[in-house]
Amino acid sequence: MNAPAVDMKASAKGISIQAMNKFYGGFHALKDLTLDVAPGEFLVLLGPSGCGKSTALRMIAGLESISTGTLTIGDQDATHVLPKYRDIAMVFQSYALYPHKTVGENIGFPLKVAKMPKPEMDATILAAAEQVELEELLDRLPSQLSGGQRQRVALARAIVRRPSVFLMDEPLSNLDAKLRGNMRAELKHMQNTLGITTVYVTHDQIEAMTLAHRVAIMKDGELQQLGTPKEVYSDPANLFVAGFMGSPPMNFVSGAIENGTFTGPGVSLPSNGIGDQTDVTLGFRPEDCTVVPTGAGHLDAQIFTLEMTGDQSLVTFRTGENSMVVKMPKDFDAMPGSDAGIAFDAASACFFDNATGQRLRSSG
Amino acid sequence: MKPSLFQPRKIGEMAPASKIVLYAILLSWALFVIFPIYWLLITSVKTPAAVNEGPFFIPWVDFQPSLHAWQDLFVDDFADTFRAYANSIIISLIATGLSVLVGSMAAYSLSRIEFAPNLITILYFVALLVGACVAVGVYGANLWLTLAVVVAMFFLLARAVGRLYTVRLKNGDILFWIISQRILAPIVVVVPIYMMFQSVRMLDTHLAIILTYAVINLPIVVWLMYDFFNSIPRDLEESAQLDGATMIMTFREIVLPLSRTGLAATTLLVMIFSWNEYLFALFLSTTKAQTLPILVAAMNAGERGILWWTMSVAIIIMIIPVVALAVVLQKYISKGLLVGAVKG
Repeated sequence: MNAPAVDMKASAKGISIQAMNKFYGGFHALKDLTLDVAPGEFLVLLGPSGCGKSTALRMIAGLESISTGTLTIGDQDATHVLPKYRDIAMVFQSYALYPHKTVGENIGFPLKVAKMPKPEMDATILAAAEQVELEELLDRLPSQLSGGQRQRVALARAIVRRPSVFLMDEPLSNLDAKLRGNMRAELKHMQNTLGITTVYVTHDQIEAMTLAHRVAIMKDGELQQLGTPKEVYSDPANLFVAGFMGSPPMNFVSGAIENGTFTGPGVSLPSNGIGDQTDVTLGFRPEDCTVVPTGAGHLDAQIFTLEMTGDQSLVTFRTGENSMVVKMPKDFDAMPGSDAGIAFDAASACFFDNATGQRLRSSG
Repeated sequence: MKPSLFQPRKIGEMAPASKIVLYAILLSWALFVIFPIYWLLITSVKTPAAVNEGPFFIPWVDFQPSLHAWQDLFVDDFADTFRAYANSIIISLIATGLSVLVGSMAAYSLSRIEFAPNLITILYFVALLVGACVAVGVYGANLWLTLAVVVAMFFLLARAVGRLYTVRLKNGDILFWIISQRILAPIVVVVPIYMMFQSVRMLDTHLAIILTYAVINLPIVVWLMYDFFNSIPRDLEESAQLDGATMIMTFREIVLPLSRTGLAATTLLVMIFSWNEYLFALFLSTTKAQTLPILVAAMNAGERGILWWTMSVAIIIMIIPVVALAVVLQKYISKGLLVGAVKG
């Protein structure tokens, strides 16, 4: 997978992580992470909680030591470099605003540490505050701000010093849904304008899809797949990625491939050139299929529920223990409890090895 | 809007009847608490005859006030009073400063660093010390030689002994050990401490009392400040670190301002403990280093019987600084600066 073409800004630095491991006593928290972040790239580390994504971020920041492996920022080996010499800024999930300092003092803290002269410092603080529309609130204390405003202060404090790398640890998770959508757009716009290399940690796949140039999906301390949002969505490397990305996630049917045909409970379709195998899972996206009359599709099942989301209808089917979801247009209507068929584009179906979880690809 | 059943109501919103009852209860409790202080005040202006003749409470009606006790302490015995007062101030200020400084540093490191000392190594060290004491005290071995042997044996064999068997202590164990030093009744150690200072000829010196007070108050400082430092989110320090601040700058700019409340409360508490301490002062001081509690107690044991009047004066001047301190520090203690530190 190639890094996408990103507009290279002079100050942006790339990050190169080679075989990075983290052990907490006997617990292997991060397993052999190898990752290259291009200068100016927006990379999202995505995964469920406890998958090691925050640990990886904190290791890049220098807040956790690197057990084995190397970390390079720009062309400097940063594996054992103290955080303050790494030229990075981090936005914490809690924002980590200093409660006894005003908004202005909070934003200006990195400059104060760097001993910037006062007049220059005030101008820089004002410029950063204007960028996040906080210039009216510079004299307030963090406790007098709303959640969204605190978030902006944290952002302003991160950008005020023009670091070569931004690290963000679930920065939007404390905001309500509407604000989160707005901040997401602003964040993306800001990263685009400043062109600063950004590593962003989240468990929210929508955030990952909308913000990232590339997404790195992690599970149990291991990198599962690295690619553009489009790649990881439409071309998942394994069952975990297929089941994690997308809302609702991919539908799965287990079965076996014999003589170039996949056969599962009530399903039979060509295996797209994948060789014979006994324990296989078929996966297809809810939006790649349609509800058709019984017998006309690839499989038949009973309709369990029908959910209206406004712009579309989600039809849930039940066959045995499996449930499958089909996205239909918003005017679709059907009786829950009745039988119907599901038809999908056989070319877009994915096959996975059930034992290893890995994607099966045609050898031809 | 009508307040719900369990919501506390403001006194101003109450019905007149319950308001009267409430004020009556509060007033009688206030009288109950303040009365002993009032009694002290009037006793300090009574003549010995007025004190002995019975309970008189209202000056100019029950008895004629006189300043003779005040004159006794501040004019006739001024040197003694002033010395005890100055001693108390010097000793409690320095002892408090010392224990808050050392104790809060210990608490900060306990709350931020994971320690894992090996219990076996510690026990080995203690065993060596006991052996040295026995060798010197019972068998008359040369002190310096024994010390040299003990130090050498510790550093040569500590790692080997530690490897024999490993029992790691955690921060919680260390903290409990420190607090357990305060649970120990002071009377148990007062004689050894007396003999220790006697052997180094430091009895009746300020330094002896200061060191003792600093040590006995250390566990309280560590305990209170540990909880307080733990309540400061680590994100704040990590963020400062990433912003380029050094450790000292992080401590000065972030940790110290945020722990001002806790430091004020701890200082006040330790100061009051030192100010009121009696047992150790009784053993460690005779005249030069005598503190106020000893001065007050001495008035109980004179040849002239109990001098209630001068004792009252001494007690009054003794409680004034504590009250003043409480008033000054009160705003820090009730402030709660940490609100709004984390999320909204």
